Amino acid sequence: MTVLTPWAASGPFPVSGAPAPLATSSTLVNQLSVKPRLGQWSKVLIGGPNLGTDESNAMAILYPVPNGGQADAFEVQDQGGQNTIDLSQIYVYATIPGDTPMVEAFGYQTV
Amino acid sequence: MNRRELFKQALGVGAAAIAVTRLSGQSSGSSYNGPAGGSRGSQLVTVLAGPFDTSQQPNGVAPLTAVPQYATYLRIQAHPGQEGKIAIGGPGMASTTGSIADSTFLELWPNYDASFDNGRSDTWIFSDPKWLNTIDLSQIYVYPEIAGETPIVTAFQLV
Repeated sequence: MTVLTPWAASGPFPVSGAPAPLATSSTLVNQLSVKPRLGQWSKVLIGGPNLGTDESNAMAILYPVPNGGQADAFEVQDQGGQNTIDLSQIYVYATIPGDTPMVEAFGYQTV
Repeated sequence: MNRRELFKQALGVGAAAIAVTRLSGQSSGSSYNGPAGGSRGSQLVTVLAGPFDTSQQPNGVAPLTAVPQYATYLRIQAHPGQEGKIAIGGPGMASTTGSIADSTFLELWPNYDASFDNGRSDTWIFSDPKWLNTIDLSQIYVYPEIAGETPIVTAFQLV
């Protein structure tokens, strides 16, 4: 049967100094969400392999949530119900080294 | 009685009320309950609803259901008036040593006095895009940062 399963590496994503891909090899999922971690002060940039630290080529720029409120979020999901989002092609950058945006991804698996 | 004690007392009353009218997803025990993963029925049924209590777990981390229950829509909301963050994650949370929050994939900010976002509570909504019952509630774990707090959980199945 088919089940939407959390990607095993979902969680705080450490970024230090340069945009980093969410996965080092091709990893297809159905749904992806990236949010600033609550209480941290980084802006979070999201883009493809050409994402720049100067915000060039960013597909989303998220404001931090240092002190309360709903977190800004980048969310994308394949509405056709397929695993089509390749995490190795999604790059994330936090403007303060060491900050850890929260990454959540789910993919269809047959169990 | 301070504010925290008042909340605790009020929540205790709420939990007792819920115990009287348990939904199918809230039944304890090991019996399978609900449609198979990946199915799609024609009637939307609520299988989880109300404040979700994890206080019976040794580390305060609990799966939404004890046995696999496949839902098509899941909503978890910070409980208005409560003061701790809510962490949500996968099965890895259950055995975590050290910071449980570091093993989660999502955190909800508390809404203790309605002072942010025009009083809206932080909420995580997750659904299958094709309305299939594919979200295994037993694989979604919740951890309130403050013991005894109770996020609002709602889950629907198509049966």
